Amino acid sequence: MVQPLSLWLVVLVATGLTCMLTTLLAGLLLLAERFLVNYGPCAIDINSGDRQLTVEGGQTLLAALKSEGIFIPSACGGRGTCAYCKLKITDGAGPLLPTEEPLLTKDEIAADVRISCQVKVRNDLKINIPQELFSIREYRGVVKRIRDLTHDIKELRIALTEPETLEFSAGQYIQLQAPAYDKSPESVYRAYSMSNPPDDNRAVETIIRLVPGGICTTWVFRYLTEGDEIAFSGPYGEFRLSETDNEMVWIAGGSGMSPFWSMIRHMKTAGIERKTTYFFGAVAKRDLFFVDELTELADELPWFEFIPALSAPADGDHWTGETGLITEIVNRHVTAGRNDLEAYLCGSAGMIDAACKVLADKGITEDRIFYDKFN
Amino acid sequence: MKRSPYDQQVLDRMAPGALCAEGFLGHDPRDLSDIIAADDAAVAAAGLIHTQIAAKLAEWMLIAITELGRAVELTDNVTGVWREGMGRIPSPWPGEGVFPKGELQLTDRRTGRAMLVTQLSVHLIGTHGFYQGRGSPYRIEPAELIPLLELA
Repeated sequence: MVQPLSLWLVVLVATGLTCMLTTLLAGLLLLAERFLVNYGPCAIDINSGDRQLTVEGGQTLLAALKSEGIFIPSACGGRGTCAYCKLKITDGAGPLLPTEEPLLTKDEIAADVRISCQVKVRNDLKINIPQELFSIREYRGVVKRIRDLTHDIKELRIALTEPETLEFSAGQYIQLQAPAYDKSPESVYRAYSMSNPPDDNRAVETIIRLVPGGICTTWVFRYLTEGDEIAFSGPYGEFRLSETDNEMVWIAGGSGMSPFWSMIRHMKTAGIERKTTYFFGAVAKRDLFFVDELTELADELPWFEFIPALSAPADGDHWTGETGLITEIVNRHVTAGRNDLEAYLCGSAGMIDAACKVLADKGITEDRIFYDKFN
Repeated sequence: MKRSPYDQQVLDRMAPGALCAEGFLGHDPRDLSDIIAADDAAVAAAGLIHTQIAAKLAEWMLIAITELGRAVELTDNVTGVWREGMGRIPSPWPGEGVFPKGELQLTDRRTGRAMLVTQLSVHLIGTHGFYQGRGSPYRIEPAELIPLLELA
């Protein structure tokens, strides 16, 4: 007869052995997946036969496309956190992964949209890639200038070395690569709008605001120095001037200045004389920049008006300009019923949501509101 | 101490440089479960639960966001300032989604002491009772926060 204590001992040992065996098998499966499983070459059909790739199976779709010179926007370096690298995969992707689900809407899931850094190429795939992404490539350059624009905003100028020129539209952005450093064991990519005009095509300028704890901005503010080599990909994005003659309002705050600083200089050079009013919001005077330059442009260009505004001027600011939230200023200046007006916005999600509401109240329809939202 | 692979994954994601430069645990020598247990005890001692605290912080955050960076008086003693940040950050607990960056600075006007609250912080407090480790820039001391909330 088995004693109760012995029975417990047998159960404990059996449970322990089962756990050990399960862990061992799981480990072996992971190792086998990594080192032994050979998926062989897999075919990727892009845009229904427009382009065919043959890649080595086992890597993520994002990495496979990058190895073939196709750069899909990605800010987190393939960690499945930014959700920028969404692609439509019509065949071969397998079931949706738990790591993808929180990053996709129900409509996207229904439309076969997937997170390309999470989907592994294990067999032939059929995917759709927006045409404009084929013109994106990797660039290398040297940091020529870093200058403080405010207490927490810097301007970066990068002279291109490989290739030596970059063709882009005012309003587009790059993905800057922050390499691994002591605050980050892996390199990451972050999106920044280009602030130089397109004819200045041997360099890239961008305006970066420090994000406390941010991996890329910490690197730019604390580690990057003039003369350093730097890598990025681009140009990305659909935020650009329409090809109409409609009057425009521009609304921005903080580093949302970037695309507009590019656009206004492009319009001047290219002789685009569309009536434009630029509303730029900040809290206090210490948060403003490029005011003198934009005021000079407004004096010079009869079709351009610049309206900086402070929401809470400091005691010593001696501010005589517009005061209030930028949305309040827009509300005061833009008359209702302007169905010929186009609006361009760049800044925080909160500012853009509030501005869209003001513009809608003025009768500006959604199809005439273009924005580049930070989040 | 033995940890499940899931718990180890959570800890890995809390390390400096994994999801944010400074990480979530600061220089706190305590184990994650001990940090949570100690803060849980402080909140319980005040007669509150974590979801109440998270809800109040979320309410203040909404008020501050609409001010677009301008300071707002949230109570007679507390000033809030919302600072926008680019991008989003995931929860260190996998599968819980991503949260817009940006931070609410709460300042106790009587003492001048300030603390930072993010949308992710609100989620971590409400879902896990996690107020981050000591030394993290986003550590919130329940004993300092609770009197400001005026929930009692």
